[in-house]
Amino acid sequence: MARTEVVAMILAGGQGSRLGVLTKTVAKPAVPFGSRYRIIDFPLSNCVNSGIEIVGVLTQYQPLALNTYVGNGHPWDLDRNNAGAYILPPFQSNSGSDWYKGTANAIYQNMSFIDDNDPEYVVILSGDHIYKMDYAAMLKAHIEKNADATIAVYEVPWDEAPRFGILNTKDDDVIEEFEEKPANPKSNLASMGVYIFTWSVLRQALIEDEANPNSNNDFGKNIVPNLLAQGKKLCAYRFAGYWKDVGTISSLWETNMDILDKPEEINLVDRSWKIFSRNPVKPSHFIGSGAKVKNSALTDGCRIFGDVEHSVLSESVIVEKGAIVKDCVLMPGVVVKEGAHIERCVIDQGTVIGKDVQAGSFVEGEGPYTNHKICSEGICVFERGLTIKEGAVIPKNSMIDSDLEVPEDCKIIESKFRA
Amino acid sequence: MFNNAMGLILADNKKISLGELSNPRALSAMPFGGRYRIIDFMLSNMVNSGVKNVGLLTYNKYKSLMDHTGTGGAWSLDRKNDGLHILPPYVNSEATNISSDEELTGVIDFLRQSRTPYVIVAGANVILNTTFDSFIKSHEESGADISVMYNRDGTKYGNPSYILDIDDDGFVRDMLYNPAKATSPKCSLGILCLRRDLLIDILARQMAHGQSHFGIHSIVKMFDEFKVHGFEYSGVVLRINSVQSYFNASMSLLTDSVRNDLFWSGKPIYTKVKDEAPTLYFDNAEMSDSIVSDGCRIYGKVESSVIFRSVTIAKNTTIKNCVIMQDVHISENCHLENVILDKNAFVRPGVRLVGHPDYPIVIGKGAGI
Repeated sequence: MARTEVVAMILAGGQGSRLGVLTKTVAKPAVPFGSRYRIIDFPLSNCVNSGIEIVGVLTQYQPLALNTYVGNGHPWDLDRNNAGAYILPPFQSNSGSDWYKGTANAIYQNMSFIDDNDPEYVVILSGDHIYKMDYAAMLKAHIEKNADATIAVYEVPWDEAPRFGILNTKDDDVIEEFEEKPANPKSNLASMGVYIFTWSVLRQALIEDEANPNSNNDFGKNIVPNLLAQGKKLCAYRFAGYWKDVGTISSLWETNMDILDKPEEINLVDRSWKIFSRNPVKPSHFIGSGAKVKNSALTDGCRIFGDVEHSVLSESVIVEKGAIVKDCVLMPGVVVKEGAHIERCVIDQGTVIGKDVQAGSFVEGEGPYTNHKICSEGICVFERGLTIKEGAVIPKNSMIDSDLEVPEDCKIIESKFRA
Repeated sequence: MFNNAMGLILADNKKISLGELSNPRALSAMPFGGRYRIIDFMLSNMVNSGVKNVGLLTYNKYKSLMDHTGTGGAWSLDRKNDGLHILPPYVNSEATNISSDEELTGVIDFLRQSRTPYVIVAGANVILNTTFDSFIKSHEESGADISVMYNRDGTKYGNPSYILDIDDDGFVRDMLYNPAKATSPKCSLGILCLRRDLLIDILARQMAHGQSHFGIHSIVKMFDEFKVHGFEYSGVVLRINSVQSYFNASMSLLTDSVRNDLFWSGKPIYTKVKDEAPTLYFDNAEMSDSIVSDGCRIYGKVESSVIFRSVTIAKNTTIKNCVIMQDVHISENCHLENVILDKNAFVRPGVRLVGHPDYPIVIGKGAGI
């Protein structure tokens, strides 16, 4: 067999604390997205569609759901004899044990995994973006330019540039400088968190970075600036397709809505670049008489008897008669009971919205669950496995968190699954 | 759950034709219920019962079936020991043509290699969701040589029907094939339980008598020689004997009780996964009383229909009482009622097709209208 050309490493250990209760018990890449998917389906499918067959998935924070989901990699055809998906948690060794201290340290700790596969190049990916990208085309550019590292960049609107890691380039897209969230950006090329390194160069850089006790062990903050300082050739690779960060509740909601509003942009029906996922074993969905379904995405196992408008429903969601669901993202197994009315709600797996509950952007005011730090634009977010009391009224920008202490008369959570 | 039985499924039935729909495929490979093939139900019943070794007996048009089952992974039957075995006619390289006994030779070899005491044998034309635990238990307790499952459908599903005359002790006394008038409502489901070694003996004897095909009811018919016990099944059963019964069975899925029994009784029906995108409903979509699968794009009006994967229904189009299979495209301004469209059919704008509920129009695979 020919030598392995490339190994991909997906950084999937982060908590994603800006997603609030959605990442209380699962890591961000395992958060359900777009009716049929989890966020990690996108980088995994991109790898497979790009011909990358060795994929390390670095887990750390709440790895159970992610480990179970990725499993042996079968849904992505990553259960090969000499390749596949490999879950890489932090581990103990003779010299001690350590959590992954940062993105670069996570790769450093798994250097022997990469060395065993002996690749020429390593692709570093993160598990928090929704996009379809051909890493093989990027690798081709990396090789043609004889680069030591290539960083995928996305042209963001200038006014948004201060929120991103910005790459300043000269002619031919050779990178001169990396600035993390610059107040006065000199460029609008944002790093997408997609890196290709020539492995020998990265290997050396990781060893040097590890030796520096003051380092944050982070790709953006340390590895990239150090390589630039050493005069290595770093190139930007411009990506022009659909790319969205889903790191916040509002961006997660908005990106879900993009499936409805701009279906051609992410184009999930493209059979030449399928996004694979672990399929639920559920029958086709059913829409009863008297139901209304408009501008929405549905999948297997859903049973709809009420009104669903402009919403993204995951598998096995039930919307009962007389319920109104508008602008919502309902994750697997959510039940909306008779007469409930919800708008702009992001509801995690298995939560039951009781009869006649009113929740979301159309309910004015504030309540004990109001959370302006996590929620904005009127969006409410619900933890998984809750049963919300009949008739509860939940104002906009609320985060329903079972761990939050609220006065007895404000309690809206009737029970919690596996409390 | 038990693992003392293996399974044998007859993938086709020479007595049943679905006209144009069965041209490209064996009966068991017939698409059904939005995302399934008929075989999925029996395969799932087997694996949900703990069966780990299943033979699929085929003699004709099995490409579609093999595409569907692959190595059996979708049913967790891609095993190192046992698993899914497709049994096409046994062809010796020196044989110039397939003669009568090759089908049975292959089955006997397969049965001999197994280690389980029992075999569950099933046909391709019944759809039900069950496990065989109580069937096997009843078989053991009755002291019968052969057990056959039946329900009280009588002859209402048309031919072929095998009406059983069962005595007070539950043993089969007589069996009538396609009787003009049913003497009893007890109609065989074509599902048997018997000892593996007995089945091998029976098949070897049938071969020696020059019988060419595996016939489930040729075994039931041996009630004079063996003790054949009836086991009544009371759950939902859909029988596929004709285009009409296929259409009726599909439409019956729109009834809550049928859907709940077949799909939501806690025993999953497995099928090949396709990784289609979610289905999108657009601005003017109007939906009522319908089953819809993944990957569809619905712009028009759909009423009382079963829609398979990746179907497009364009705007200003009305679909009523239809069964629309995978990858069908229906253009704007159409009106379709009581129509079965096979895979990949294409309906151009402005087409009006109205069949009768008792005689649906069938549009063949890949046809353009």
